[in-house]
Amino acid sequence: MKYVIETNQLSKSFGPVQAVNGLNLRVGAGEIYGFLGLNGAGKTTTIRMLLGMIAPSVGSVRVLNQAVGPNGRGPWARVGHLVESPAAYPDLSTRENLEIARRLHGLTDANVVSRVIEQLSLTPYADRKAGTLSMGNLQRLGLARALLHRPELLILDEPANGLDPAGVVEIRELLAGLAREGVTILMSSHILTEVDRLATRIGIIHQGRLIEELDAATMEELRAQRLLVQARDLPAAQAALTAAGYSVEKERASQALVLKDARAIEAPEEVATVLVGAGTPPTHLAVEQENLEEHFLRLTGVLQ
Amino acid sequence: MNTFTAALWTETLKARRSLVPLLTAIGFSLAAVVDGLFMIILKDPEAAKQMGLISTKAQLMAGVADWPTFFNILGQAVAVGGAIVFAVITAWVFGREFSDRTVKEWLALPASRSTIMSAKFVVVAAWTMGLSLWVFGLGLFIGRLVNIPGWSLDLLRSSSVDVLGAAVLTILLLPFVALAASLGRGYLPAFGWAILTVAFAQIAAVMGWGDWFPWAVPALFSGAAGPRAGLLGAHSYLVVFGACVLSLMATYLWWQKADQTR
Repeated sequence: MKYVIETNQLSKSFGPVQAVNGLNLRVGAGEIYGFLGLNGAGKTTTIRMLLGMIAPSVGSVRVLNQAVGPNGRGPWARVGHLVESPAAYPDLSTRENLEIARRLHGLTDANVVSRVIEQLSLTPYADRKAGTLSMGNLQRLGLARALLHRPELLILDEPANGLDPAGVVEIRELLAGLAREGVTILMSSHILTEVDRLATRIGIIHQGRLIEELDAATMEELRAQRLLVQARDLPAAQAALTAAGYSVEKERASQALVLKDARAIEAPEEVATVLVGAGTPPTHLAVEQENLEEHFLRLTGVLQ
Repeated sequence: MNTFTAALWTETLKARRSLVPLLTAIGFSLAAVVDGLFMIILKDPEAAKQMGLISTKAQLMAGVADWPTFFNILGQAVAVGGAIVFAVITAWVFGREFSDRTVKEWLALPASRSTIMSAKFVVVAAWTMGLSLWVFGLGLFIGRLVNIPGWSLDLLRSSSVDVLGAAVLTILLLPFVALAASLGRGYLPAFGWAILTVAFAQIAAVMGWGDWFPWAVPALFSGAAGPRAGLLGAHSYLVVFGACVLSLMATYLWWQKADQTR
């Protein structure tokens, strides 16, 4: 299978610090690949290696079937990117910043600048100096620059960074629309729910290593489910359920009992029957699914 | 439009939209203005004595108010002032990409890094040469205005070579400033480099081996320490040219090989 992004044993060390360690990343055409990791996990170093900005210490990178680097070589006419916080020439307007990108991409159609300004809702700021733009609009400008040349592959580092909630939804819909048109997207994000909603596959990187890859189906399977129980007399309810053979934990934050046994999750009505029988009927009974954030935090050791 | 033309357009736009061209033009124009002021002072020794320090300095640097002296001071100002002002320009063109964090925006583009570097060097060369021509032209205007004696076409020809030759030699050493801005990823290391080379050039000239020290050559060429025929040889121009080629190669190589983490 031909991959849009393919790394082999990709490693990078800065002196004694091993930023990325033996990363084998495969991203297929049309995928939205979410790249998750804590701060310092190696996400940005990986993205910079994918873009030829950093040379790997060991290993190789292929993007769109072309070897990346040395000397900045790569299929950059077909790749759009946004690395870390967006930057623009502060003395130049939004339009001029994009005009620079258009010319350096060798695009002959001058209308692409206006098109992308409209696409990213930047029209009111088109002639405003980039130095006066808000963080969110600067992020839009960065995304506009990435989309200007209609790339086949988008490599985006924290694309929702700095955007307000409406902007986050807008960008999510924009990226989803591009994916439907066949654009492959690799995006890192610290807003895990964003990745959860958008990605068709997720890679979790921790301490420079890719520790887990999940496709949409596996994500569903792997997420732990739990039964959340609340009652007026919580100690009595806990005692009754323990006596009935359930493994019960008390969650302080929600003042609820948590049952993780498959027996409880598959048949919550039996739990209700036990509680009613013990004279402590449940006031709340719900099967909850662990969200990706919790799964991610548990994998990276932040949650025990 | 090929990528070099696009990169050149880009660099020109960035310069046009900035205040740096205006500020450096004003700063460098001071060379001609102060030169004219010296001539006014020297023309009237009585007024010069009443003007305190500046008059003493004018007496030390010059002596008589005439065109040969005027051109001599202008040449020195272009050589020494140019080393600083041109370094500011170069540090801005190369160092701003790091300070504005824009460098990462042009590392993965169809336009190669070498192409963008070349456009930057062309803009620096055109900008600094333009400034030199402007100051020389301004000097001619001010000299006429002050109305000093000793004008001749022969003097204009030889002084053009002195002043503009010193400027060209200074410009040839600017890739080192670009290298310092690149290696140091910002303006400050480049400014530090420029100040260091000006200081070492003075020391080298005083110690008598300025003809071998590239950064001392422009001032010696301008006639600051007397006729250049007795001070510089072919080797002096070779070390400047060699330093230029070496620093250009090092800058291009660095941009090809260095990890860009900003």
